[in-house]
Amino acid sequence: MNRFSRQTILPDFGIEGQQKLSDARVLVVGAGGLGCPTLLHLAAAGVGTIGIVDGDTISESNLNRQTLFGYQHTGKPKASVAAEILKEKYPDLEFEVFPDFLDTNNALEVIAPFDVVVDGTDNFGTRYLINDVCVLFKKPLVMGAIYQYEGQVMVFNYGSAPLNYRDVYPNPPGQNQIPNCAETGVLGVLPGIIGTLQAAEVIKILSGVGKVLSEKILFFNLKNSSFYEVAISPNPKGRNKLPDSEEDFRSRDYNINCGLAESINWEKALDWTLNMNNSLLVDIRETGEKPLLEKKFLTRIPMSEIRENPAPLSAYENILLVCASGQRSQQLALELKQQFPEKKIFSVEGGILHPSSPLNSIKNDKKA
Amino acid sequence: MEKLTVKAFGMIAEKLPEQEFYFPQKQDTEELLNSLYDKYPDLRNMDFSLAVNQQLIQQNTPLEGNEEIALLPPFSGG
Repeated sequence: MNRFSRQTILPDFGIEGQQKLSDARVLVVGAGGLGCPTLLHLAAAGVGTIGIVDGDTISESNLNRQTLFGYQHTGKPKASVAAEILKEKYPDLEFEVFPDFLDTNNALEVIAPFDVVVDGTDNFGTRYLINDVCVLFKKPLVMGAIYQYEGQVMVFNYGSAPLNYRDVYPNPPGQNQIPNCAETGVLGVLPGIIGTLQAAEVIKILSGVGKVLSEKILFFNLKNSSFYEVAISPNPKGRNKLPDSEEDFRSRDYNINCGLAESINWEKALDWTLNMNNSLLVDIRETGEKPLLEKKFLTRIPMSEIRENPAPLSAYENILLVCASGQRSQQLALELKQQFPEKKIFSVEGGILHPSSPLNSIKNDKKA
Repeated sequence: MEKLTVKAFGMIAEKLPEQEFYFPQKQDTEELLNSLYDKYPDLRNMDFSLAVNQQLIQQNTPLEGNEEIALLPPFSGG
């Protein structure tokens, strides 16, 4: 008995199936909620060489779903920590670490030497980028994606009639539909299920066992415990958008900016705040940040407090957020829009440091 | 009476009263989409693909009766 005996005794998998896994090179992009369970299962199953791409570090809020990591790993890079943990468990495997995010400069080189690619990333830009490279290289791509309590699994560039992500979604969605920009909730077990399904598809592709999920999208709904399959077919509208060469790919821009929150200038912000009862102007800088602005029209609630408890804002229809330069207020406005979709939430342009902010323009604070 | 079953996924379901509901039968998917947009204007800003009886469609598709329609947005999370 060896560590693979329970799968090599499967009649259709056998020693041959195991040898195929052992000879294989699989790249997992994203060592997060999806990537962790995928990596655990690919390594346990004995995939010989596993590449891990992630430019991020581990934070405490990752731990509900990123099951390779624990408290002791916070602050450390995901890709190298994942490789260390797996190498310690399975010294018979090889790991290749890419501690960066993929972009048009590095993606071709990183992806080229692998047999199968797993997409466990968390943004549309990288998903389209990986898809387009895998189409160029005709490389099987196992994509998984989640939204709150639901997930999708798809296998592209596989079999005699290969499909790709642009057959399903020809274009990246509009900016207002990019929920990961402001973090959305996810029950940690959901990516555990979807990432594990991805690992299963990789093992099927490599070993030849079973029927690969290559002509359908599989949806999973955790709340209903239900699966839903949708058959897909080639979509010329999407295929026209694919880069036709490596040069063409390198010249593309895959950055999809997170949607911008609505901005408002200082003049309008002050006018609204002073003349409309349902408007609230909030200084979201943290306690202790200078200069201290004490104005009656300015309500001070630090960003960290609002994130913990946005309820005090709920009495107002127009919420105007101010920080030092207008950056954090943008971020918070996006987050609050998720919580209060019916309210108007603005980021005040340029923040406190803007030339027309009350520091400069209102010398004598007449009304306040 | 013939009627459509509409199933909504992901963010699309948040713009609709329920994840799954019946809708009056329409001639084709374009007529259906226009009726859905009229009734649920928030859908207009959303990107999603459409499946008829679990087959993804790419253009206006005739409906004959009692189809199951799925509104399928892309998911980005990981």
